[in-house]
Amino acid sequence: MRPSDLFGGSPFGRRVRRPGAGRVPVTVVTGFLGAGKTGLIRAALASPDAARTAVIVNEFAELGVDDVLLRTSAEDVRLIGNGCMCCAARSDLQRVLRNLYAERETGAVPPFDRVIVETSGLSDPGPVLQLLAGDRALSGHYAVSALVTVVDCVLALDGQAPPEWIEQVVLADRIVLSKTELASEAQVARVRAHVAALNPGAEILEASNLRADPLAWLAPVAAGGARGFRAAPAAVGPDAVSCQSFVLSFDTPFRWEVFLQVMETLLALRGDDVLRVKGLVHVEGCAGPVAAHFVRHLAARPEELTAWPDADRRSRLVFITRNVSAAQVQALFDAVLALAPPPG
Amino acid sequence: MLTTTDQGADDSQTRNFKLIAHHDLGGFGGLGEGMSIQIAKDGRRILWLAHESAPKNFTALDVTDPKSPRMVVQTELPQAHMRSNSLEVTGDIMVVAYQTQKAGQQPAGMEIFDISVPEQPKSLSFFDCSGPHSRGVHQLWFCDGEYVHMAAGAPDFTPRDAKDDQFYRIIDVRDPTKPTEVGRWWLPGTREGDSAPAPVRHTPEFDLGFRAHNTNVYPQRPDRAYLGYLDAGMIVLDISDKSAPKPICRWDNSPPYAGFTHTVLPLFERNLLVVTDESVVDDGADWPKLVWILDARDETNPIPIATCPMPSRAVFAKRGGRVGAHNLHENLPLPTSWFSDQVIIGTFFNGGLRAFDISNPYQPVEIASFVPPAPPLAPTGAIQLNDVFVDERGIVYTVDRHVGGVYILEMDF
Repeated sequence: MRPSDLFGGSPFGRRVRRPGAGRVPVTVVTGFLGAGKTGLIRAALASPDAARTAVIVNEFAELGVDDVLLRTSAEDVRLIGNGCMCCAARSDLQRVLRNLYAERETGAVPPFDRVIVETSGLSDPGPVLQLLAGDRALSGHYAVSALVTVVDCVLALDGQAPPEWIEQVVLADRIVLSKTELASEAQVARVRAHVAALNPGAEILEASNLRADPLAWLAPVAAGGARGFRAAPAAVGPDAVSCQSFVLSFDTPFRWEVFLQVMETLLALRGDDVLRVKGLVHVEGCAGPVAAHFVRHLAARPEELTAWPDADRRSRLVFITRNVSAAQVQALFDAVLALAPPPG
Repeated sequence: MLTTTDQGADDSQTRNFKLIAHHDLGGFGGLGEGMSIQIAKDGRRILWLAHESAPKNFTALDVTDPKSPRMVVQTELPQAHMRSNSLEVTGDIMVVAYQTQKAGQQPAGMEIFDISVPEQPKSLSFFDCSGPHSRGVHQLWFCDGEYVHMAAGAPDFTPRDAKDDQFYRIIDVRDPTKPTEVGRWWLPGTREGDSAPAPVRHTPEFDLGFRAHNTNVYPQRPDRAYLGYLDAGMIVLDISDKSAPKPICRWDNSPPYAGFTHTVLPLFERNLLVVTDESVVDDGADWPKLVWILDARDETNPIPIATCPMPSRAVFAKRGGRVGAHNLHENLPLPTSWFSDQVIIGTFFNGGLRAFDISNPYQPVEIASFVPPAPPLAPTGAIQLNDVFVDERGIVYTVDRHVGGVYILEMDF
């Protein structure tokens, strides 16, 4: 008998009810400057529903918390009531997340239940997603529960928003329309229709006066997207940031190693242009689907779920890419599957 | 570390559990380590609970709707020096352990009830375990409807050390009106007259007894009994001949640890044993009381390969009362019990309820915790979660040792 016989269950470890179960959920909030990310987070922190949240921002001043209860010796953590804390990640989000977890274990900071990371600068969420997918220590403790993009209803359609916002919308799991109180109903409807067209899989919420139900916008999303496996019909956005999403489904279960060979080839060739891939893979020998998540060149830890979400047993993957088409990716799958040697 | 006083801090925490109900049992919320579910003939789901000390004996809660538990019955002990502590239900038969404060007191033993009408438990028999050196029954296991396996004293058993009075006894209850002993085993050297030398006692502060505690037997291996034997460590017995149990192995971590090995949970398909040592001293004085993972591929030579992460000593040691391992959900071989060999759920007194992912047995990971605030009038000033049971629906029940009653939770991991 070998030591490997002591490992039970799935080759992917413990089967989980939802991706990231048992790890600290991290909500990544993105959106261009002034879209209302900070206001949304501040409003959540005032709600009991978001108690015990650790918020990571660039500068304390950004969050404008003036009711700081306590400073810790770690310069970058301040308790702000409601069991919440505010952390400054001026340069190194990785270090802050590691320290936070370690300090929670030793009782140096309160036992936070979730983390909100507010992205900075031009708000490219890619590096944050990559960090949480690729850092082995961090990914054992934290899991991305949702990428939330805040869209300013007033600026979204009048050309004042930077072109990067298109990419943020396409990447999002959930979209919060902000400043709806400053826009007409017709304008809000137009923005909603526009972002829904850009990202049909995302759930769209509205936040009047920057207030949205924290339970709604902080909730984890399903593996394929908040609204299931849906894709934009065509490439969108200006040429500089042109990106698209598409869904591929596969009727035949994969051998996991073959699936990985396809993805490794794709990411080796075009990893910079494969912004995000997420979905459920039917793997031979597994009772539940395997939740897969790739961010550019990096693969997050796959997890086998306890059950399929519905009767559909096909593998389903949402690809968000730049200048990589569904036909190209499908061709790669076909080629590798055709060449893969039989098991043995 | 914090540099100023922690103003307004809330000691409670809930991570990946969801509290859906709480019941204080009418002010008698001190509960032992007997928790069992009955599906009554009318379909109601009844949670039977043993109290940690007098005056109450046991309480039944209707948990058909786990969000709205309702008390069905609560009974009294006949003597203030008794405690029931442990019970088990199979079908409509419930067995209850009675232990006394001092050896020689009565009644001490096991009572068997017909609970087919949950509101009216009907005593069928009493199995007397009292004696000049016996405190009666501390804990029992009853899952097959035929045999009770228990940690008990006996009228004819004279221990060399008074603390070693309770040993392993097998009682045939196939006729619940006439329970009969069919086998017994004690650690050689603990009984007056044994040819084996007396065991070397632990140091005085941790000399707590070489006696049986949990006595688990599973249908996957009906010929094995898995004993937590307190200061003697963990013992596996061959009970293929119930009249003559034979030791298969003993794993003893103490000293250097502080003894009081409590539970042995076998995970058969993975060749693992999960073993707990109970914390029995306040304020972290017996730290660390651990949950151990043992490689049992060779059942004669179990090897510890990991321990589950503990609640932070800095946070909990001085919070009040005990902190450290105690009971686990034991995968009871009953249709009303949840089963997992991937997730271990246990109680840690003021460290609350904790769940661990042991899919990698060399590296257990904590995935959930529940530490409720100190219940009103908590004598230690902190919660003291004592036992846990998870039903086949995945509903988690955990109980406070002193006053807090029952907390009902859903798992979110």
